[in-house]
Amino acid sequence: MGVIEVGRVCRKIAGREAGRICVVVRVIDDNFVEITGPKDLTGVRRRRVNVKHLVPLPIKLDIPEGASDEEVLNALKETDLYPKLLEEKEKRERRKGKPA
Amino acid sequence: MIRDVNKRGRSRRLKKVRVAVRVPGGGIVYHYRHKRHSQARCARCGRPLNATPTGPRSIMGKLSKSQRRPNRPYGGYLCPECLRELMLARAIEEGMALLASR
Repeated sequence: MGVIEVGRVCRKIAGREAGRICVVVRVIDDNFVEITGPKDLTGVRRRRVNVKHLVPLPIKLDIPEGASDEEVLNALKETDLYPKLLEEKEKRERRKGKPA
Repeated sequence: MIRDVNKRGRSRRLKKVRVAVRVPGGGIVYHYRHKRHSQARCARCGRPLNATPTGPRSIMGKLSKSQRRPNRPYGGYLCPECLRELMLARAIEEGMALLASR
């Protein structure tokens, strides 16, 4: 299922953003990492999070540590997961009526 | 001196609880009180849910939506542990599908 490292695409399984996709941009220590959605794509803002709240997916992006949201977004666009992310985003916005 | 049982029918039967009260004359009189609202429970494991107050509409109506349940997917319906388990299973299944499709 893949190991948690910089560039790893994960699903958040707890908290407000449970069920959403995020990308690890920095490993803080063996318990905490910094992730970003990026916010306008998956609604997950750049934040520190415990790895227990993440499930790694078998997709890894080629991004430098501490990459900007733009870099992450462009890297995500190449993956075959990207269309699904747009679909999820559209579904969320339709339900909430405003960008979630 | 047992006073005739209530004539109010359903409005008493569904919502009220009878309490026997001794009266100075030595008889018993029944007092009717509102039933207490049951606590919200997790739909999957039955555990009582946190951050979900219960009460009559007079109280709940005043609360804002975020005061009535946690701000989390399935908040107020599933407990955090059950949500985590379900999300984990779903993510693993997604991971497997991605691996298989490669």
